[in-house]
Amino acid sequence: MALSRRTFLKGAGAALALPWLEAMLPQRLAATSTDSKPIRLAALFMPNGVREDQWTPTGQGSEFALSPTLKPLEALKNDILVPTNLWNKASDYGDGHYVKTSGFLTCTTISKSLGYDLNSNGISMDQIAARSIAQKTPLPSLELAIDPVTIGVDTNVGYTRVYGSHIAWNKPTRPLAREINPRLVFERLFRINNPRATNNISDSLLLDRVLADAKQLRRRVGASDKARIDDYLDSVRALERRIEQTSQSGVGSWSPRREISPESKPERRPDEHPERVRLMLDMIALAFQTDSTRVCTFMFGNAVSNTNFSFLEGVKGGHHSLSHHERKEENLTQYQRIGQWHIEQYAYLLNKLKSFKEGDSTVLDNSMILFGSGLRDGNRHSPHNLPLILGGTAGGRINTGQHLVYDKDTPLSNLYCSILDAFGAPVERFADSTGKLKGILS
Amino acid sequence: MACSLLESLWGIVFILAVLAPNLTASFREPSESEQKNPTEYREVEFIKRYCLECHSGKKPKASLDLSRFDSIERIVSESILWDKILIQLGEGDMPPEEADLPSLDERSNFLNWVESSLQEAACQSGPHPGPAVLRRLNRAEYSASVRDLLDIHFDAGEALPSEGSGGEGFDNAAETLFISPIHAEKYMDAARVAVEYAFADTRSLRRFLVAKPDEKTPPEVAARRVIEAFLPRAFRRSITESEILEYLALFHAKYEADPSFTVAIRLTLQAVLTSPKFLFIAEEPNFDVKPHKVTDHELASRLSYFLWGSLPDDELLEAANKGSLSDPMILQEQFKRMLGKQNSRKVRDFSQNFVEQWLGTRALGREFKPGKSILGYDSELEGGMKYEPVFFFNEILTKNRSLLDLLKADYTYANRRLARHYRIKGEFREQPKRVELTDEDRRGGLLSMAAVLAVSSYQHRTSPVLRGKWILETILGDPPPPPPPNVPELEESERGVPSESLRERLELHRRDKACAQCHDRIDPLGFGLENYGVLGRWRDKHEGHPVDARGALPDGTTFTGPEELKLALLGRKDQFVRHLTKKMLGYALGRGLTYYDYCAVNSIMDKLRANDYRSHFLLFGIIQSVPFRFKAGITSGEGEHAATLNQDESINE
Repeated sequence: MALSRRTFLKGAGAALALPWLEAMLPQRLAATSTDSKPIRLAALFMPNGVREDQWTPTGQGSEFALSPTLKPLEALKNDILVPTNLWNKASDYGDGHYVKTSGFLTCTTISKSLGYDLNSNGISMDQIAARSIAQKTPLPSLELAIDPVTIGVDTNVGYTRVYGSHIAWNKPTRPLAREINPRLVFERLFRINNPRATNNISDSLLLDRVLADAKQLRRRVGASDKARIDDYLDSVRALERRIEQTSQSGVGSWSPRREISPESKPERRPDEHPERVRLMLDMIALAFQTDSTRVCTFMFGNAVSNTNFSFLEGVKGGHHSLSHHERKEENLTQYQRIGQWHIEQYAYLLNKLKSFKEGDSTVLDNSMILFGSGLRDGNRHSPHNLPLILGGTAGGRINTGQHLVYDKDTPLSNLYCSILDAFGAPVERFADSTGKLKGILS
Repeated sequence: MACSLLESLWGIVFILAVLAPNLTASFREPSESEQKNPTEYREVEFIKRYCLECHSGKKPKASLDLSRFDSIERIVSESILWDKILIQLGEGDMPPEEADLPSLDERSNFLNWVESSLQEAACQSGPHPGPAVLRRLNRAEYSASVRDLLDIHFDAGEALPSEGSGGEGFDNAAETLFISPIHAEKYMDAARVAVEYAFADTRSLRRFLVAKPDEKTPPEVAARRVIEAFLPRAFRRSITESEILEYLALFHAKYEADPSFTVAIRLTLQAVLTSPKFLFIAEEPNFDVKPHKVTDHELASRLSYFLWGSLPDDELLEAANKGSLSDPMILQEQFKRMLGKQNSRKVRDFSQNFVEQWLGTRALGREFKPGKSILGYDSELEGGMKYEPVFFFNEILTKNRSLLDLLKADYTYANRRLARHYRIKGEFREQPKRVELTDEDRRGGLLSMAAVLAVSSYQHRTSPVLRGKWILETILGDPPPPPPPNVPELEESERGVPSESLRERLELHRRDKACAQCHDRIDPLGFGLENYGVLGRWRDKHEGHPVDARGALPDGTTFTGPEELKLALLGRKDQFVRHLTKKMLGYALGRGLTYYDYCAVNSIMDKLRANDYRSHFLLFGIIQSVPFRFKAGITSGEGEHAATLNQDESINE
């Protein structure tokens, strides 16, 4: 896996990783935000599960050894926490993939639907976090992915593939659209970070007109359709609020914690999968570093993704095909290699966030970066003992450097309760949770 | 063993019955209801045997008591509930695995009986269109609409989030066109870029900048003229004076801050393109109890988004303004004009949107991206593969050809690279061109198109299972139920030695009765296409063995190779055309179908059968159908609800 030289020089990732950048950029820390150590949360979703016999670390507590698949995290061992034996009971139903993707962060059972009455029956945990700090950053959350939404409805199992393409839900009936082009993400972040006063006045005039039109239309349509117009109204209002927030000074205003160099703009959407993934991870880092948002979800691939991993040595074939390994060693080896590649990417993001200083700590220290899949073994599609890792301490609130083995079938939602607690958005219960996970919070 | 015993027993019974007719009476007296309607009797028995154990009594499972359904009348009277039950049953969710399970035949007999009864009942109860449409334009429709409004050749929607599919499997289904917080920002950006682009192009400017300020024309007058011309086209209807004034006010506000006509009118047009009145197709709700015809303007939009994937042009709007579009003669004229040559690009957009989603060939270069192990795959071949079904379908639609050409035809479209791939002789270029086929080419019809053969394969090898499933789902509209949970896929539990052929391995698996139930229907269909490799190249031998392309239809009709498979499928032409009709109707309506819509499907099928299955009878049949021409009344409860909400709002504002 090698990035081309062009990307390396011009891509945002490379530029941001270079040590001189930090020194060159003016710091506006004290004036910018009331939170000196803002807590960030990201959830990285990998489709198709893992080779199970090479995932779980050996040993428990702080005395543990990383498994072959987790080896790329060796240098970050003290920054991560591996929980074993968690499961997502609500997704043990329906089909092999869709239920386990859309329900990954909601811990609810999605309704079987080809589109009409589509419903996740819950809100994803990232969105609960986002809601708690919505006014603090220009973007309440950022949803990123690699693949476009998979087309079609799966008449075989009775689900629209929309389900397999989303993990973030801010209403049970509203999966959040994801951005798949790193260049567009960059432009968006850049614009937010560099608002121009004249543009803002024009934008406000335009949005006033659009809001008024939306209200007129809302009055006209039938009751059941008003929700759709409301969604658009919400969307326009959020934009209006952001323009206000980024163009004013004083209470409730926002300015970036770091400036973005326009040269670090990615050229276009690269063709190669590894480059795409790297650039997207760079965008997460950029968004967190500038404090454009504090909540992000990212999908390495959609459910059933059959991304061709033959760019890895020894691998020939698609991810989903290989996940149906038939217990054949030649398939298992390749399946494991793909899983390990994902861990390498995860390690890349953690390292990058760790390289960003924030006061006396780092951005990684002030973050929680969750990595996981909605099923364990691709052959069996089982949501027992899910592969999960949590990186970063949320400002010292998480006891990292541990492998924690829980009782069999401990709810995944308990982990989310602990995460929300550490984020500063505690909830009494989340979906089917029965409490917080022991030994995580310090 | 059990079977043969049973057979011989029945043999004895038969002999006894023949020899001594009076003896039969002592076996069991058929009840009155059984005699009156044996089918109904049998299917009600199905409910009793397979459902009532859990779904009856004091505490029925899921609070669902099915014991009241002892006749077809009772079932039909609760059609919405049965709709949901049928889905669970059809997809094998119910009865649960641990229960007494019906055989596949019992299950499908029951499903067919309830479904056809519900459809019949729906058709007898009069016209039932869907409600007034409210849906966001999807990305392709947005791009096409902006393109036609501003006359720009530029994909304005490129940066919008991608969309999934709902309903009958298309990305224009209202139900899955969600709006996320990101959308307003994306639309505002897209509008800015599009308008900037259009202002840099003098040809575009002529299309929408119908006035400019000069000595005789003050800026407000010019702005008013531009708005008056632009708004009705963008909103696809007549506009009110107050709407003109509202946009003029925006122009003024900007002009006062920065006295540049261009800057202010640009912002005004951007606002139009960000307005939900442009972004949503929003029909007037029908507050009556009875269905109403859609208005002429609504009809114009339904037509243009169906056949063009874009907004109505000036001629359609003009007809709608005059109120003449719904006139059957004018409607037919417009239909013919819209499919005519001069608009070929728009119709081809339609062909592409429909065909790629129906066949799943949009996956080429996206979900389907073969690795280096598949030799010869390059972007020119991908282009040729992708466009072959699109151009082919486009000809069927515009030339009013038979829809049966889709199954078997003596022409296709190929570019240079695809022609070489197919080993078709002749002069070709980078653009696909029409080519007449001979028998030796072994092509013609969807089933021998490389794009179809590829997306129904694994990326590294062909799969009769996937191709069989593809034919059942896509051509016959009869998708097999999913494999039971926690059962490994058919091809993976094999313990076969490498020398065994795939056919032998699959046959071995079908000895397992649970697998055979479905795979007996799936696999034999797929084998008919084994002469085509992953990318659809012809092969007589595979891995050193001659290709064995013997297969069978679910009804047992046997065939060998693709040509006989095509003929066998032509034997099922009504099933195929019916499925295509349902798909096309779902696409035209932008939603999933209900039982009521099947009445429209039935009457379109009648017209198609009487007219050699010519494509215009499908398209125009849809345009004339009740669900396309009418909108349902709002149910009284919802109407009241709407009225209350409206009152609340007026207080708020």
